[in-house]
Amino acid sequence: MTKRIRSKIARGSAELSILALLAEQPLYGFEISKRIEEKTGGALHFTLASLYPMLYDLEKRGWIAGRWEANHAGRDRRYYCLTPAGKKELAPLRREWSFFFQALDRLAGVTNA
Amino acid sequence: MPDWSAFVRERLQSLNLAPKEVEEVVTELAGHFEDIYEEQISRGLSESEAERAALNEVVRWRRLARNIQRVKQEGTMNARTKHLWLPGLVSLAAAMGLLMILIAISLQPRFLGRSPLQMVILPWLVLLPFCGAAGAYLSRRGGAALWARLVAGLFPTIVLFVMGAILIVTRLVVVSRPQWWYGSLAVVLGIVLPSAALLLGAAPFLKTAKPKVAA
Repeated sequence: MTKRIRSKIARGSAELSILALLAEQPLYGFEISKRIEEKTGGALHFTLASLYPMLYDLEKRGWIAGRWEANHAGRDRRYYCLTPAGKKELAPLRREWSFFFQALDRLAGVTNA
Repeated sequence: MPDWSAFVRERLQSLNLAPKEVEEVVTELAGHFEDIYEEQISRGLSESEAERAALNEVVRWRRLARNIQRVKQEGTMNARTKHLWLPGLVSLAAAMGLLMILIAISLQPRFLGRSPLQMVILPWLVLLPFCGAAGAYLSRRGGAALWARLVAGLFPTIVLFVMGAILIVTRLVVVSRPQWWYGSLAVVLGIVLPSAALLLGAAPFLKTAKPKVAA
């Protein structure tokens, strides 16, 4: 599925996508948007305009924390990592989305579409 | 390569945040533009095409500035409550609660005749470090800076000082014996010693805790 999903579901899943990625390793904004695009085969795409307000919001809620570090090219980038509060939030979020997709599948048979 | 910092700064002029915070946002977004631009160049696009691709990331700058402003400003308000007001109020409530309990105990018939210094002031000074510790601890737990932890710990005496000053300046309270001795004693017993006691309790929490990062 390469077609970009531009819907409320995609926007709603942004939190889960970011938290799940940061659970693997700390990343900076550009890397986050690249990884999301790569891992979803281009189905999800975060522009700069949509990504940063989301990151700042997650940071404000204490789920992620940012710190300045040099990247592989030696340039200062703000790396975000998952905080213990974010880690705690990720598990129920995953369950909620899993439950949602199962329900949708039962209703509309989306898996076999 | 375009000067992305100048480009972002110019377009985020409406961002009304602390200068340091604006600079952080500008640096971060400029870095993102820089990465997109370089990625496009490495894919073989011309400089103008790469620049265009980067510019496509933001169509409505005002909207972006508004969204960042909203998120950051809400954060500031919440942070101030978490870092200062709430810990300060806990410290104040604990200090005043203890003072009232001690006064109530000292008024019981079996303690009549004992001096207020012995029954109220000294026990209060002994207990005040716990109030200062509570304020500074809560403030540090919320991730506050040193000054906020200090203010949260000393909040009871700051309030006492301000209230006392207001009452005296507005002449709602008239000092009956305006000699330096009585004034100094009041300041020492009401402000200096309680402040020292609060500071004693707050001191261990004035060191910055190491940030926790999930494994």
